[in-house]
Amino acid sequence: MIHVNNLSKSYNGTTVLHINDLEIPKGQSFGLVGNNGAGKTTFFSLLLDLIQPSSGNITNNEVIVNESEAWKPFTSSFIDESFLIGYLTAEEYFYFIGELRGQNKADVDKLLANFEDFFHGEILQQKKYLRDLSKGNQKKAGIVAALIGNPEVIILDEPFANLDPTTQIRLKQIIKELAEEKNITILISSHDLIHVTEVCERIVVLDKGETVKDIKTSEATLQELETYFSR
Amino acid sequence: MFKRFLSLEWKQFSRSSYFQKGIAIKILLILAALYFGGCFLVLGTSAFFILEDTFPKEDPVTIVNNYLIFWFLIDIAYRYFMQQLPVMNIKPYMIIPIKRKTVIHFLLGKTTVSFFNFLPLFFFLPFTIVLLVQGYNPLNVVAWFFSMLFFTLSINYLNFLLNKNDKIFYTILTLLVAGVAVEFYDIYPLAEKAGIFFNTIYQKPYAILIPLLLMVLLYRRTYSFIRKGFYLDAEISKKTETVKTSELNWLNRFGRIAPFLKNDVRLILRNKRPKQVLFMSFLFLFYGLIFYTNDSYNSMPAFLAFASMFVTGGFLMSFGQLVPSWDSEYYKLLMSQNIPYREYLESKWSLMVVAVLVSFVLSTPYIYFGWDIFGMIAAGALFNVGLNSFITLYGGVLNRVPMELNVKAKAFSNTQGFNPTQLLIALPKIFGPMLIFYLPYKLINFEAGLIFLALSGLAGIVFKNFFLNKIEKIYQKNKYKTIAAFDEKA
Repeated sequence: MIHVNNLSKSYNGTTVLHINDLEIPKGQSFGLVGNNGAGKTTFFSLLLDLIQPSSGNITNNEVIVNESEAWKPFTSSFIDESFLIGYLTAEEYFYFIGELRGQNKADVDKLLANFEDFFHGEILQQKKYLRDLSKGNQKKAGIVAALIGNPEVIILDEPFANLDPTTQIRLKQIIKELAEEKNITILISSHDLIHVTEVCERIVVLDKGETVKDIKTSEATLQELETYFSR
Repeated sequence: MFKRFLSLEWKQFSRSSYFQKGIAIKILLILAALYFGGCFLVLGTSAFFILEDTFPKEDPVTIVNNYLIFWFLIDIAYRYFMQQLPVMNIKPYMIIPIKRKTVIHFLLGKTTVSFFNFLPLFFFLPFTIVLLVQGYNPLNVVAWFFSMLFFTLSINYLNFLLNKNDKIFYTILTLLVAGVAVEFYDIYPLAEKAGIFFNTIYQKPYAILIPLLLMVLLYRRTYSFIRKGFYLDAEISKKTETVKTSELNWLNRFGRIAPFLKNDVRLILRNKRPKQVLFMSFLFLFYGLIFYTNDSYNSMPAFLAFASMFVTGGFLMSFGQLVPSWDSEYYKLLMSQNIPYREYLESKWSLMVVAVLVSFVLSTPYIYFGWDIFGMIAAGALFNVGLNSFITLYGGVLNRVPMELNVKAKAFSNTQGFNPTQLLIALPKIFGPMLIFYLPYKLINFEAGLIFLALSGLAGIVFKNFFLNKIEKIYQKNKYKTIAAFDEKA
């Protein structure tokens, strides 16, 4: 589904990301871990064509992302709060995203009904603008918005950060269910090794912009990661 | 403690991104400040002599006192829009051992040295000096000067209390408009009556106690107002507005661009900065009054063409020059979503066109000045729709200044959306209609000028797709630069 060819990104001569070759097959749940500055967000930004690669490229379903926009209809993402429109209510925001992705109100409502537990009564019918919601609730709205319109590729940057324990557990459940569907490729970055090993089939460790580990998740993975990061 | 606060303030000022943004803007700002200061200075020095010449029977001081009421009302109204409350970042000081008193006094002290308090001095000080030189009683004059200073500062603190309340502001605005109307149409000699108060203050130097007491009272009132709100959950935390949702289904008739239009309507209604623009563009409607009432312009119809374009183009220009900055807070979303630039642009364009049409309808009272003038406004409106809209949108793309939507623009630090490119883009907007009108007017006649101006707009509408394609290309070309620029917080 996603193929990375000789991708690199540098600012003023300092290389912040360099991935020679990385293939993410369709339907995989893919986890990205690494310390601050390892290049996780840079990689996601490149994948969404928000920054320009210094060399190489990424193809998403055969589409070269920095040359064509044809990847947009089947790709969705939530990176940070700048993906929210602060002056809309959560409903208005969902319907807006829905309209962009060819979903009418009824479609969106149907999807939202599945997330009642996840929202925990704090998102819908709140009579509040998104900018006035707490960080955790903003994140919930953003994550669910990324699931609107049957995307084939879902990119979530640190989805677990800022969420309360209950919501973290529910989110893990949601991601697992998504991962079971064969046609959804899901990319997640996280600082929480336990979460990421629980929900991802494959984990790649980035360090200073390079891939240093590429692990198929197993019982031993958490131990392996903990050993690596406590060096 | 104050010294330390001052050093923090200085750092905040000198390290803020707009300060480091290029010398051209700084020079322009200084020029603007000098310009306004200079205007007041000239007014202050010459007011006495002008009034003396125009109304030889009356004492200039009395005349000035008569109109002070309007001066102060305008001051209040103007500050409401332009003066930003210097909300120091109080939060970090709440838990460290500094007396709350100190922080609040500093906060209020800071507003006291605001540009808005100095600006009136540029008028009052030279006026006072002229009075002294002219041999008025020094005691009266000096006491009067300080009274004016105290009134100005009173307004400064009053603004603190008012800024939270729209209702009071609109009451004052209504009072002002009503007052001007009453005075202008000789219904009631308001100025004279209000003048009694100010003249008494002038004649009885001990009356300086009135404004002094007023100032102290308002200072204390403001102090306790802030003191009460000095908690995390009170004034410091931003207020959560209650939401008025509306489906805006009537916009669905616009088809593909409907979702964007709905967003834009909400953008304007729910954020402070766009509301401010909306209000300012309403004021543009009155721009014509300056030009049409002035005989010297009647012999220069090219200037009238320019003014007519302004009458209907206020919103178009002030909103359009900040497309796409309006969406800077969530630009990354727009860029990674399934959004064709074309529909995004068309939505903004439609909004601007609607604004021109509304302004045009509102400008019908200008028929009072004759059909020639109204014809010009109509031609100007067409120019706005057909050409100005695209020029403005083109300028906006090159703008790339991030914007905080729900924060009012600060006066004289309003560099958001202002750079040399904007100046260059402004040239065709200003001289375009003048030239298009002037050439046929000079070569043929007045009507020909109007027709050409109107036709230029129609031509623009015909070539709409061409222009939008061009602008779309620039959007694509500048995509990464724009994202990066919007990512830097203002």
